[in-house]
Amino acid sequence: MTIKIWKHFPREDLYECYQCARCTGSCPAMEVAPAYGPRETILKCLNLGHDKVVEDEKVWLCCTCNVCEDRCPQKIPISDLLVALRNSAARRGNIPTRLSMALELLAKTGRSMIVHQLDEMRAHHGLSPLPAAPVEELRDILKKTGRDEVIEF
Amino acid sequence: MRYALYLGCAIPIKYPGFEAATRLVCERVGIELVDLPFSCCPPPTSMKLVHYDSWLALAARNLCLAEEAGLDLLTLCSGCVNTLKEANHILKQSDSKRRKVNRILEDHKHQFNGTIKVTHILDVLYQDSVVERLLKERVRDVPLRIGCHYGCHYFRPPKIMYPQELSDAESYVPVSMDHLLSIIGVEPVEYSRKFLCCGSPLGANMDQDAGYEITRQKLGHIRDRNIQALSVVCPSCFEQFDMGQIVLGRKTKEKEKIPTFYLTQLIGLALGLSSKDVGLDVHRVKAKKLLESIEVA
Ligand code: SF4
Ligand code: SF4
Repeated sequence: MTIKIWKHFPREDLYECYQCARCTGSCPAMEVAPAYGPRETILKCLNLGHDKVVEDEKVWLCCTCNVCEDRCPQKIPISDLLVALRNSAARRGNIPTRLSMALELLAKTGRSMIVHQLDEMRAHHGLSPLPAAPVEELRDILKKTGRDEVIEF
Repeated sequence: MRYALYLGCAIPIKYPGFEAATRLVCERVGIELVDLPFSCCPPPTSMKLVHYDSWLALAARNLCLAEEAGLDLLTLCSGCVNTLKEANHILKQSDSKRRKVNRILEDHKHQFNGTIKVTHILDVLYQDSVVERLLKERVRDVPLRIGCHYGCHYFRPPKIMYPQELSDAESYVPVSMDHLLSIIGVEPVEYSRKFLCCGSPLGANMDQDAGYEITRQKLGHIRDRNIQALSVVCPSCFEQFDMGQIVLGRKTKEKEKIPTFYLTQLIGLALGLSSKDVGLDVHRVKAKKLLESIEVA
């Protein structure tokens, strides 16, 4: 059930971090949630262990914008760390409701979005109806990749 | 020129006007589009964060459909292009990941072979031969001061999205949309925080107000430059600016709103298509007055 974060991000890289905060300085999530930041996330992994980080809902504030990694003078693969941390958080039940609802929709319809009167709306723009996605096939793939073990609907 | 058209979810379902504009523009410039039974990409902002292996397998299935048709895959969204380019890259590089994914996909008669390229409508339109065609087909200018917003996932991480463009600092920011729009008479305007996030993923996953606060700050920098309209290549960025200004307006009481266009809507207008043809009638922030001021209807 749990995933090995350090298989997806080289643990030694945590020590490469200067703590210069160049990443956090450009982080949009930090602008609106000052307790959050990529530098802070790395520091917490070092000081408190990643277990503490994945228990905290703040790990979901990240927009995946990748600016932190782009500007990091040490070229630390911060995005890989943030993806692995959240995969681990989800396995422990730490996942925002909005996000689990979006994934439920994906499993049920093969798409991440739904609206009423879609055919009419598309016709308004001169478009034919959208064919249904191959839901059975997608569900089977999700079952075999182990998604069902992480979130069940 | 022929591509498998990858629509994604948000465009055909929420913003079909962008799809209509894109199909019309492609027809006019001689790009043939083929529809295939694709599914959700899935997004780098949702499935990838929750279950990486599922993200990779579903993305691989979409890539396989294009491979089977022998066509490069054309996306219309920054999120879709990010997922599909990255998955294509990973599956080509890693034998073990490719084997794992193929073991699952073979039950559905698919096999990832790494034979196609993933691209985005902006890059397709920015090719020399298409630009030449556009110059020939253009019937009017769209002389507006426009701020381009590319969307983070369109170009980051550059080592995967645009490896051939990397600077010495291994970084990259695009200019394609600014250049492309200038050929239809647009005045592209630089602004602070141009290459930073619109706020959408934070709003979608966690906290809508916090997401819109990022948008509000970005809009402040856009207003500082007297930008008349925005151009985007991603439906999520679009929603963040279009719907976002309506939601923010309830609190800030800001009356002057800035219309947002999807790239092919602007190109379509320059090719002589009407506002209705390119789907502008359903935008929340209306562009009607602005377009009337430059005599584009
Ligand atoms: S920019 Fe890089 S080195 Fe500096 S604090 Fe962030 S992760 Fe550490
Ligand atoms: S990827 Fe996440 S942590 Fe990094 S700058 Fe963007 S929002 Fe901040």
